[in-house]
Amino acid sequence: MSLFQKTIRELHQMLVDREISSLELTESVLDQIAAVGEKTKAYLVVTRELALRQAKAADERLRARRDVRPLTGIPIALKDVLCVRDVVSTAGSKILKGFSPPYSATVVERLEAEGAVFLGKTNCDEFAMGSSNENSGYWPVHNPWALDRVPGGSSGGSAAAVASGEAIGALGSDTGGSIRQPAALTGIVGFKPTYGRVSRYGLIAFASSLDQIGPMTKDVADSAILLQAVAGHDPRDSTSSPRPVPDYLSTLRNGVKGMRLGVPKEYFVAGMEPAVEQAVRDAIRLLEQQGASIEEVSLPHSDVALPAYYIIAPAEASSNLARYDGVRYGYQAEGAKNLIEQYMLTRQQGFGPEVKRRIVLGTYALSSGYYDAYYLQAQKVRTLIIDDFKRAFERVDALLGATSPTVAFTLGAKTQDPVAMYLNDIITIPANLGNVCGISVPCGLADGLPIGLQVIAPGFREEIALQVAYAFEAAADFRKLQSPLMRAAA
Amino acid sequence: MPEPESELSSREVEHVARLARLGITPEEVVRYRDQLRHILTAIDALKRADTSKVPATAHPLEERNIMREDERQASLPAEAALRNAPSREDAYFKVKAIQE
Repeated sequence: MSLFQKTIRELHQMLVDREISSLELTESVLDQIAAVGEKTKAYLVVTRELALRQAKAADERLRARRDVRPLTGIPIALKDVLCVRDVVSTAGSKILKGFSPPYSATVVERLEAEGAVFLGKTNCDEFAMGSSNENSGYWPVHNPWALDRVPGGSSGGSAAAVASGEAIGALGSDTGGSIRQPAALTGIVGFKPTYGRVSRYGLIAFASSLDQIGPMTKDVADSAILLQAVAGHDPRDSTSSPRPVPDYLSTLRNGVKGMRLGVPKEYFVAGMEPAVEQAVRDAIRLLEQQGASIEEVSLPHSDVALPAYYIIAPAEASSNLARYDGVRYGYQAEGAKNLIEQYMLTRQQGFGPEVKRRIVLGTYALSSGYYDAYYLQAQKVRTLIIDDFKRAFERVDALLGATSPTVAFTLGAKTQDPVAMYLNDIITIPANLGNVCGISVPCGLADGLPIGLQVIAPGFREEIALQVAYAFEAAADFRKLQSPLMRAAA
Repeated sequence: MPEPESELSSREVEHVARLARLGITPEEVVRYRDQLRHILTAIDALKRADTSKVPATAHPLEERNIMREDERQASLPAEAALRNAPSREDAYFKVKAIQE
């Protein structure tokens, strides 16, 4: 078994036991990137020199047994929406081509303090807008399970990197499903924490009331470790919560015996693939066999979550993206006669079609005459969705459903139909609007393509989501499933 | 609640793009108009929800008005802030004339 196939936990033990060095481990992962990177196109930038330097520093730390942390010496990939000082960070957009941030995101600083090794910046849909990674301003990412399929999005590069052994773990960001859906489609674990659990400082903004950074890993324990490292209050993000961060590993193995788990009937949506529904129902039965009591619950406003999201997220995006004016950083169009024309040309040439579509939609929803009917109504619907979750969590400890209604689809299959593309997020969006947390864990294969089980827990109860996901993973043993690209190199 | 015009016009797309300072070709106007009509039809389901007695949620925060101590802190050095500028002159961002 190659080093890049192992988990954070296994590798940490080997590093601590001096069985391997971080340099060997990092070289193993860099070799895998060299071997399969052209197939997945998961990275926009590979920071080889930085990674080797950090690996050597981690080895010093491990040798001296000085402040050895769970991520010391572990190679991690970072979604390109995360700013890393002096490393080109573009959010997958041409408008930020060559942008070298003068500061690092808080999550990046926290991983640096742990002694993690940065492999590079992973590809994503432009400004995290998309669920197939085909909206990247650079190139699409290919699913390591079937190269003609999408990896999901928007954190498709991070997902493909973890699933192909091109990273041991990764960070993604999730505004409407962008961690969980690609995790489901590539057979890995992806966890969107509660809004406010992880600092957004240095995260290139998409929709600021929804965006949240989270882990993407090979298994549930690794997600607990990675979340532990980045969670907690940050004075530089006033929306980050001062609530204390529990020790996620200490409750991970508590099992589901005696837990009440709810199955929202609305989450079995029309258009769900039968194999996905079957795998999710089997997963629910397995959790019941592990001692959980299962009951059907209703989240009656689930059908309006998607429409509310496609008003709120573009409205916030249209406002956030106003900063890309070609003056202070990024791309600047040539040949403009005056400043307004320069703005218009810069944005016309710098943004891709989906970003433009959402800017127009968001600006429209916020514009005079439509504000009440669209934006305000969507914000009220958001309250209804929050209340749906509150009521459900009075009865049950966590909710179960699919992550995505389908397995990975073929590249190009939905690019001409934005509405069909938006439906990918139909069961992930409510957790963002409802301010709860959700994790996707592999629960089977259909024709060789991975399926994800989603576990949703109340706000700031990440330990419950992890505990349920871990109990499922341990009982089901889908953890051993590896993508063909990961297996091939064994 | 006033009924919005569901059939988005080309003029509205042009107007909104102008508000967003987004250059847009005549072909894009037509394409975005048609796609946004389709999206807005899907979004119309929003109206089904009875929100007559529901307050709006602008953000999900529990905390209100977190203030830091009013202490001086180091800020980003000017050179670091300027280093990504496509056009600059001395310690300034350089822009086109605002008025001709």
